[in-house]
Amino acid sequence: MRFAFYPGCAALAIAKEAYRSTLLLAERLGLELVEMVRANCCGAGLFNDKNRELNLTLNGRTLAQAEEMGLPIMTICNTCFMVLNRARAELDRDDYLRDKVNHHLARIGLRYRGEVKVKHLLQVVVEDVGIDRVKGLVRRPLRRLQVGAFYGCHILRPSEAVAFEDPDRPRSLDDLILAIGAEPVDYEGRTKCCGFQLDLVSPHLAYRMIGKRIMECRDRGGETMITGCPLCHINLDSYQGYAGKEVGFKLDMPTFHLSQLLGFAMGFSEEEMGFAKHLVSPERVLKDRGLL
Amino acid sequence: MRIKVKIKRCDPTGRGGCEPYLQAYDVDVKEGMTILETLMWIKENLDGTLSFRRSCRSAICGSCALVVNGTPKLACKTQILREYEGAREVVLSPLSNFRVIKDLVVDLSPLWDKIGRIEPWLQPGSEPPEGGWIITKDEVERIDRESRCILCGICNSGCNSQEVDPEFIGPSAAAKVYRFVGDVREDGKRRRLERVSGPHGIWDCSRCVMCNEYCPKRVEPMTSIEKLRVEAIREGLVDNAGARHVEALVDSVNRVGRLDEAVYTFRSLGFLRSIGMIPLGIRLELHGKMPLPHIFPAIEGIEEVRELIRAVEEEE
Repeated sequence: MRFAFYPGCAALAIAKEAYRSTLLLAERLGLELVEMVRANCCGAGLFNDKNRELNLTLNGRTLAQAEEMGLPIMTICNTCFMVLNRARAELDRDDYLRDKVNHHLARIGLRYRGEVKVKHLLQVVVEDVGIDRVKGLVRRPLRRLQVGAFYGCHILRPSEAVAFEDPDRPRSLDDLILAIGAEPVDYEGRTKCCGFQLDLVSPHLAYRMIGKRIMECRDRGGETMITGCPLCHINLDSYQGYAGKEVGFKLDMPTFHLSQLLGFAMGFSEEEMGFAKHLVSPERVLKDRGLL
Repeated sequence: MRIKVKIKRCDPTGRGGCEPYLQAYDVDVKEGMTILETLMWIKENLDGTLSFRRSCRSAICGSCALVVNGTPKLACKTQILREYEGAREVVLSPLSNFRVIKDLVVDLSPLWDKIGRIEPWLQPGSEPPEGGWIITKDEVERIDRESRCILCGICNSGCNSQEVDPEFIGPSAAAKVYRFVGDVREDGKRRRLERVSGPHGIWDCSRCVMCNEYCPKRVEPMTSIEKLRVEAIREGLVDNAGARHVEALVDSVNRVGRLDEAVYTFRSLGFLRSIGMIPLGIRLELHGKMPLPHIFPAIEGIEEVRELIRAVEEEE
């Protein structure tokens, strides 16, 4: 299985451990990733706040590049996944907009034809690789580890554009938690927002959201969280200290990238998966469970 | 088919105040039966004390909004068997983010206050010309979605920003603002945009997409908020963190094709608030996560990105 790999800005800078662990995991899963080195940032939705046509044109460029490569896109970021799919859906629905965007793209010798698929790593793992294959690759079952799946917003909504799974009752991450031998924790905020887009705008609202999500998971017995989005990870991990102050509770919730926990269960070491990059260390809980 | 319908109830006159509890009712449901019909049947045949709001039964009045298995919906527009099949149970709760008055009835007055505060009426600068305003089809379509709102409160119930900030303008009132900002006859556009550019305004939307996902009339309030942001920036209302955030991102992409996180953070927050981030910066650095500015070169093909940004700007 070959994919045009669109890692997104966060995984290339602040969340490099997501990028590196994805490359190792992909090899283990037999995914061939051709990185889109010429692709631009998706804008995280903010292009739409400036000019809707700018959003469609710059994301149209990425979509058209993948079409030229003849490969479906795979991203490891919820927001890139949503933004690219939302742009794709808008361009596919509206001939007038598509002509306009193609008029711009013609200046750089590209054309969006409406053939490309945009997938998320999580989707590729459950749909293309398959849960059974994942089970078969597990070398270090994460027995008794209580893991809260944090789906986040943009892998589920708008469901019409991202077209992945039931936005009200998603199960892919929970199925994977079971597949690697761990125990999924059900909690209220699993499909809610991490607040990332407010980090630099209204930080206290973001911190409250982070605090709520972590407390919701903790109150149901969660001792770690897993997310398929490096932006959610930045908030749940790097901003956890601020969130704790906001909710008046000392939080200590290690959070893993999807690729990290799958890779770790498949036998990669904590160094290879980059656990030391996290601000909230998973060492204690992994030792408690006899996994380190 | 006989199923159990669980309803989250509370009675303010009871001993425990409005302490919520779950009550189950056995109901024979038929294919095509709505949740509202189920509630009416329970009230008529099993329990006259059950309270809920309803009126039109055809998704026009917006009275019967509630939460079905965790998702805000209109009771009259939702078939009970479909819900049961999906979750193997039916749990009905009052809308979230509102105070419960009794059972499924919530106090919507904060919503009415927000709608009232945005002055939900047209404010044209002059009398209509002789023969009335002539409005084109395109001009109507611009605000068609926003005109459909039935004020049911479903978007407010799902809104993740409203959950952490009850003062947040909320999706429904924001969509209503665009209904007038986007109206060619409106004269108070700038004043309206100034009002929503401040605290608790349009820049506090976290883009969780709940409102777009669940609005039963497909108003797409989050998209309305994006349109308001575009208009606010065009009007030059850029002296706030939200607008700076957008400008910093577009500049970064124009410069290197990607997000230059450090410069972007600095520009969004401004000098003083950036200083407050230094402790976090040091911790990030210790974990090898600190995004350093300018250490990554521009992406290959950056001139294409600049060309496209220029092309769109020229057109504007």
